[in-house]
Amino acid sequence: MNNTLSPFRSLVPALVALALLALVPALGPSNRLLSLAISAGINVVALYGLSVLFGQTGILSMGHAALVGVGAYAAALLARDTGVGFWLALPLGGIFAGIAAVVIGVPSLRVSGHHFVIMTFAFGQLLTIVLTNGGDYTGAATGLDLQLPVSVFGTPVDDLMPYYYIVLAFVALSAVASWAIINSPYGRTLRAIRENEKLSASLGINIGRHKIGAFVVSGVFAGVSGVLLAYFLRHISPGQFASFPSIYLALMVMIGGARLLLGPLAGGILVSFLPEVLNLDPVESRILYGVCLIAVILVLPNGLIAGLLEGWQKLFGNAAQKRADNASANAKHAPEAGR
Amino acid sequence: MNAILEIKGLKKQFGGLTALSGVDLSIEEGEILGIVGPNGSGKTTLFNVITGVHKPTEGRVSWRGRDITSLAAHEISGAGIGYTFQQAMAFPGLSVWENVQTACEHAHRSDRSYPWTTPAALLDFVGLTTLANERAGVLPFGSLRLLGIALALATRPSLILLDEPAAGLNDKETATLVGLVQQFPAHGISVCVIDHDMKLMQMLCKRLIVLDFGSKIADGPTQAVLADPKVLEVYLGGAL
Repeated sequence: MNNTLSPFRSLVPALVALALLALVPALGPSNRLLSLAISAGINVVALYGLSVLFGQTGILSMGHAALVGVGAYAAALLARDTGVGFWLALPLGGIFAGIAAVVIGVPSLRVSGHHFVIMTFAFGQLLTIVLTNGGDYTGAATGLDLQLPVSVFGTPVDDLMPYYYIVLAFVALSAVASWAIINSPYGRTLRAIRENEKLSASLGINIGRHKIGAFVVSGVFAGVSGVLLAYFLRHISPGQFASFPSIYLALMVMIGGARLLLGPLAGGILVSFLPEVLNLDPVESRILYGVCLIAVILVLPNGLIAGLLEGWQKLFGNAAQKRADNASANAKHAPEAGR
Repeated sequence: MNAILEIKGLKKQFGGLTALSGVDLSIEEGEILGIVGPNGSGKTTLFNVITGVHKPTEGRVSWRGRDITSLAAHEISGAGIGYTFQQAMAFPGLSVWENVQTACEHAHRSDRSYPWTTPAALLDFVGLTTLANERAGVLPFGSLRLLGIALALATRPSLILLDEPAAGLNDKETATLVGLVQQFPAHGISVCVIDHDMKLMQMLCKRLIVLDFGSKIADGPTQAVLADPKVLEVYLGGAL
């Protein structure tokens, strides 16, 4: 049918946004701004994985920072014990986090809805406890130092600017990967499961296996994000992967919106930069996050970007009615496919 | 006669409520069997137990001699039993085409020649080709019912269970539906249909089963069953 073009159209806004972000270093940002941008980008990588899980399958994970932690600790341990560096650690961190997602997902996805959210939260806490009690191997509560530099073609990267570009490249990669998943038959099956599990099962779809699959996919994104985080911070500790970071990730994906491709990018940037822009201390920013979350759930259930799009269509709907009619005929085709 | 589905002593209790109290029945290859009964007589529960949505409290379901009582819903679909739902017949957020496409992608493999293996063939058969790009959520009710049938057909079933397929349809739509269902046996699909509409049942079914309070009270040729005093009492409260 005529849906050969429209999936590519949904990729454009995200690519434009990424191209603009690539120009940021040219504005001569301060180191503080640049490192904030890097940590936002690292979160966005994990958020694109969460958007597959939450946006397509409708499953919310409240322990996702634990999977980021698996990637981060994998990077640190691989560097310390085997001398495996940054570039090899990236896929390995993703694989380890994917395996961890299987271990968490198989028992947790036997239950659904709120119960699953609580299970992921519990597993997140469990990982923190394991890491804290891991003795010298995991560095206990102090954590681990990264013992290898990031190097590109043999040249060590010890400046923020090049690392910003590396992270941005991975943001782009994960945006494209999540877009490819969303627009594949697999993504469509996940949406079918979200919409009606009973009907999906009656069509021969193995619900449990697909849910675990989506959880594993989101875990791989989280693992890669963890490796990027470990090599950025150079020091990791269990507290970074406990409940609050998990809640922040869930918050970012809900604020930005999980179903449009710009959503995770917007959510990650907004939540990272809002306290800075408004000059809030950590306690105040937590209060602000809470208020934002309630506001988003009440006013913009599909997230900020989807809400802005709706508002735009309401405001300028009449002027562009004819165009909108054409567009909605296409949008109806795959309203969740992002644009 | 050759039974493809056999049910023996099927019981289902929900807490203290007995929905099915020991039902025996069989579905013959190539037939269109009707099941009727007042509300709450256990018709939908029977379908839910056959299709693996609910596990029975007691009893067994055999499919071509194989015990399928403990299989999960997707495995039963894979074994060749299709199912249409009373409500929520399609995925509202997907387009009509995507609905059928998704169902086709998960159809089980089978060697038999089957006319509806592609989304285009399915939509053509149920007459929804012109609505292919519409979101299923905006379809009128009658079209949604037809889409539900297309989805069940996509799984390449050898038996299709239709749960009140004519509910909410007008006479013209019901006639269309009857025309479609009557073609199933020729393509190797046996049919078991639940409905309240006696006119529909008389048009479709040569054999009728009546359930009341979770038990089978009649089973036989449609006209004979409808003339049975026991059946008249259930439907008309003995006022005749």
